[in-house]
Amino acid sequence: MAEIAGDEAPTPPPPPPISGEVSRDPYTSTPASTGSNKPPLRTTKPGVKRLILTASVLLSFLVGLPFLLKSTEIHRSPLPSDAITALAHRLHSTPPSFPCGLHAVFLRSVPDRSDASLTRRLEQSISAQLHLLPATSTAGNVSVSVTVESAGGCSSSSSNVGSGWQCGTVTSADLVIGDEVFDELLHSALGSGRWDGSMVYTVVVVETDDAEGMRVVVGKHRHAWVVGKADEVKAVSVIGKVFAKYFMNGGIEEGEAGIGKGEFMPVGSDGNVVLSFSLLNADPSDWVYDWDFEKIGERMLNPVVEALRPIVEINIESQVLYHTPKSSFSYFDDKLGGNVLSMGDIPFFVNSNEWHLDTSISATGRSKVLQFVVYIPSARECPLYLQLPDGGLSKTNAFISPMWGGVLIWNPPDCSLGSKRTHGTWKKMSSQELTETLEIFIGQLRQLFGLKPSYLSQDMDVPTKFVVSEKGFTEWELDLLYRHHACSNLLSCLTTLESLSSLVCSLPRMIVMDEIGRQVELSLEAANLAQGNATLGISDSSAGNICNKSQGIG
Amino acid sequence: MAAHSRGHPAMRERGFSPAGTSPYWWIRPCAGPILFLSLLFLFLFTAAAASAAAPEEEKFTEELLLRPLPDRKALAHFHFRSSAPPAASVGRHHHIFPKAISQLVKKYHISELELSFTQGRWNYEQWGGFDPMSTNNAKPPGVELWAVFDLPLSEIDATWKNLTHTLSGLFCASINFLESSTAFSAPRWGFKLNEGNLRYGALPREAVCTENLTPWLKLLPCRDKAGIAFLLYRPSIYKGYYHSQKLKLRSSQSLGIILDQTLTVVLQPNTVSGEQLHSNHGQLQPNWSMRHLFNRKLSGKCLVSKSSRVFIEVDKSIVDNVNKSGSDLSWSNELFVLSNSPDKLIKGQNHVEIQSSFLYVYDASNYTEEKPLDVGITWKLPLVWTCTPSPFHASRFLMGSGNERGSIALSFMSTNLHKQISGSPTDCSIKAVIFQVVPWYVKVYYHSLEIFIDGSRKTVSEVVDKIHVIPSEDKLLPGTLEMLLRFPCSMQSGTLTLDFDKGFLHIDEYPPDANQGFDIPSALVSFPEFSSARSYPEIDPVLGSPLLEYFQEDSVVKSYTEVLLVPLTTPDFSMPYNVITFTCTVLALYFGSLLNALRRRIGEEERELKKTELVSM
Repeated sequence: MAEIAGDEAPTPPPPPPISGEVSRDPYTSTPASTGSNKPPLRTTKPGVKRLILTASVLLSFLVGLPFLLKSTEIHRSPLPSDAITALAHRLHSTPPSFPCGLHAVFLRSVPDRSDASLTRRLEQSISAQLHLLPATSTAGNVSVSVTVESAGGCSSSSSNVGSGWQCGTVTSADLVIGDEVFDELLHSALGSGRWDGSMVYTVVVVETDDAEGMRVVVGKHRHAWVVGKADEVKAVSVIGKVFAKYFMNGGIEEGEAGIGKGEFMPVGSDGNVVLSFSLLNADPSDWVYDWDFEKIGERMLNPVVEALRPIVEINIESQVLYHTPKSSFSYFDDKLGGNVLSMGDIPFFVNSNEWHLDTSISATGRSKVLQFVVYIPSARECPLYLQLPDGGLSKTNAFISPMWGGVLIWNPPDCSLGSKRTHGTWKKMSSQELTETLEIFIGQLRQLFGLKPSYLSQDMDVPTKFVVSEKGFTEWELDLLYRHHACSNLLSCLTTLESLSSLVCSLPRMIVMDEIGRQVELSLEAANLAQGNATLGISDSSAGNICNKSQGIG
Repeated sequence: MAAHSRGHPAMRERGFSPAGTSPYWWIRPCAGPILFLSLLFLFLFTAAAASAAAPEEEKFTEELLLRPLPDRKALAHFHFRSSAPPAASVGRHHHIFPKAISQLVKKYHISELELSFTQGRWNYEQWGGFDPMSTNNAKPPGVELWAVFDLPLSEIDATWKNLTHTLSGLFCASINFLESSTAFSAPRWGFKLNEGNLRYGALPREAVCTENLTPWLKLLPCRDKAGIAFLLYRPSIYKGYYHSQKLKLRSSQSLGIILDQTLTVVLQPNTVSGEQLHSNHGQLQPNWSMRHLFNRKLSGKCLVSKSSRVFIEVDKSIVDNVNKSGSDLSWSNELFVLSNSPDKLIKGQNHVEIQSSFLYVYDASNYTEEKPLDVGITWKLPLVWTCTPSPFHASRFLMGSGNERGSIALSFMSTNLHKQISGSPTDCSIKAVIFQVVPWYVKVYYHSLEIFIDGSRKTVSEVVDKIHVIPSEDKLLPGTLEMLLRFPCSMQSGTLTLDFDKGFLHIDEYPPDANQGFDIPSALVSFPEFSSARSYPEIDPVLGSPLLEYFQEDSVVKSYTEVLLVPLTTPDFSMPYNVITFTCTVLALYFGSLLNALRRRIGEEERELKKTELVSM
């Protein structure tokens, strides 16, 4: 009604209506009569009642508002986002690094004046050498100490890192017993190679008068030794290189893929890995191969499992599968006398439709499964070789897929005979063949963990030899893995926490359960603890399982 | 029983070992030297069994049994057995046995497990109810899972829950719905005698299709790439009338793990009408072969299998007919002819009669891709026969109307089997065990049990020997009924009724399409006095056929009833929306009128109105 009245109001001509009425109709309407139609005068001030009414409605609305808000409230557990940002700042400004020590021992055959000034000078030059070399990724400040032992006596530098070197236990005459035995001898002379929780690496320079020149041997514990006639400058540079290149970086050059180059280790976030070995018979109608994995596999892999136990809990499983063709094409090459699979076809080799490699039931939760596959080609495609991009054939006939595992193509011995159809004969891989296969797999495992499968000595300008550990991993390589694992765990934990916190901030209507808040706090606490441990140098105990919880939330 | 406890390798010669089922050994007059001789034999046998058990390795066998059915259909039963010997490496290193299963057994300490996926219902009248096939492989529709754990009783429920989740992942099925305590029960003797370590659950509405078959096939070493499983051409086997895939596990310290995978299908042979014999009624048995059933032929065995056999089983009634016609039971006789000559002929016996079925055995390893096996049956004369039924035909139905209450009725119709078996003694009785699980929202009043025999009402104590009831608890426990009944032999029909109230569920608990109703799982009726075990007195123990071993195992005659569909009161699922719209309307009305009242100045409007009236005048 009000609108209609309002709309109609403008239609009559705008001049004041009262005067118009009077002028048009003077007979019927008198001023007196219009005055009697006027409403009675207001008793109250206009608008007060209305104001009260409006105010009361507004008030009731305002009173109801908290209830409304309460009823539509979403429970959000408070997340310590400030603490997370602080941790991120701390980690970005000072990346996690582990202090470690370098102990150089000079074994001199000639009687020498062995005073403190010489050791101090050597120490300074080694420190200077280390500063010149490319910065190491995970190692923090390196404390250097020097011991010079000669026939005259034994003197150590003042800042004694103390690798437990006992003067007089090892002499240059012991070198004749061979590298492996000398390695153990040094190990017994040096002790565990730990000092105050952090690692101490020892490089022993044994001066001999041989004319052969210098050679370097890197042992399987935390030490290396340099043999030969060398002047001080040369020795210092070799010591620096061995330390920075192998003990700190695992021999990985700049630009190479490997440990510490932004790659994650294939370890489940609960610290478990299942190594699943599968023997695939592509076509059992040609031949059926079986293996004796229980005995040989366990015997060969147990030392590796034991060595890696501080980083990861490894379970080993094996199975034999049948009717598992590959899904990429190979072609026959007359020159090479076999079927050839080029590098470009490798991504299609794994046939996930037919290879039911199965994730293991025992690998519960967030543990990782690494598949190692032995592929036995059918008679039609046998022998099958992998061709490298340069046209040559792969020596191991195997390849890896990071974070997935490795594949090895094993050509059975009777396939080159050109026998037409052996028709489903049952055979067993000989223990020799299985051992060779497993050796390749251990190399692949090293590669999957980011280490080099084997070292080539031409990287150094002096001939270098590496003492191979029967565990597959030497002690200094394991240190490297510990350090890297701790760092990558810490960083991935931080990434998860950061992304979680930013996600929660960006979605104001997202429910955050109390449980999640508690888990975030726990993992933040663990991360702080790990960082603290890292600065103290306790690498293998720090970051084992820190961030499982936060990753679970993610 | 010494031979029995040694387990699997010893089981093979049960057919004629003294501990076995065959009576012949002990019927002889038991003179001293004979007793001594038999003891010596027993000793030799156990020694032989022990030496046979010595070379422990994983084994795989595959078998297929084909059988013509009276209603123009054909039954195909695939049986695959993988076994792993007891070893320390179980669950970690395997050659033929599926690793996933051994890890499952090891992780959940399973001593026995059976999981079946079934589509369609076994027709007990037409397809038989008294043979090992119907008692072991006729399963209720949907999923049925039971497991016996080798664990302390307190840990079993938690293990069961984890197990259901694992199986659900392994078989791409919603077995995880059995996790909830409202979905499974712990029967003590009605299903299988146990010490409280058995759990049973069923999902009657689970649809079964290829996504369940593929993971099941993955457990076979050759999958469906070679061997008998090659015949599993999906469009043919899913076209059938009954389809049941089953996985049965047995594990113990002495046995290792034995995994039996069976697939039972009832198919309509896909024959061209011209190939059939002419008949007046068109009700003649169709001639069929493997190609008609599966659209495939068998081209050799799976190479890793130890034995690979195809059996054609001919029912007792056909055998009787052939004997009547005067010819012997070779593969080509007066009534029918098989398309290939069998490698072996085995006579089967059951407990009741001397002679029952015949088995024609084909060894699949004799056939290759160039010369595939396509065995089939061609009828020479029109033939009508029936299969042996179970003592009573059990069926279950609902009574009453409305959404408030109703009753469940179980009816037993006599098939007069006992007359054929034991003549007709007047005062004999037949035992029957009923096992039934009812979800909590069907609140059964167990005191309202009424029993009618041949139309007259009986008191409970007259018929029920033993009863064990676990009443349901709302949203916590299903109701479980185990009951041992004793029916008189002369009974023609018996009925049990139980009243129930229908419960209410929370709006969130209704499944999608709640108006369709709720399924109550099948009840199981077993007849403990009747055993469906067969014996094959002529069979060579070296034959080592797991399928026939399985048929020889002592198992009571069982039959599952129908699934019941109970319509429950469903709430108005659109109610929340209605409430929201009503509330919004009320709020809009309130605020609209309030604003209106505040905005309008009524006195002034009246004045205005008066003025316009004046003007118009």
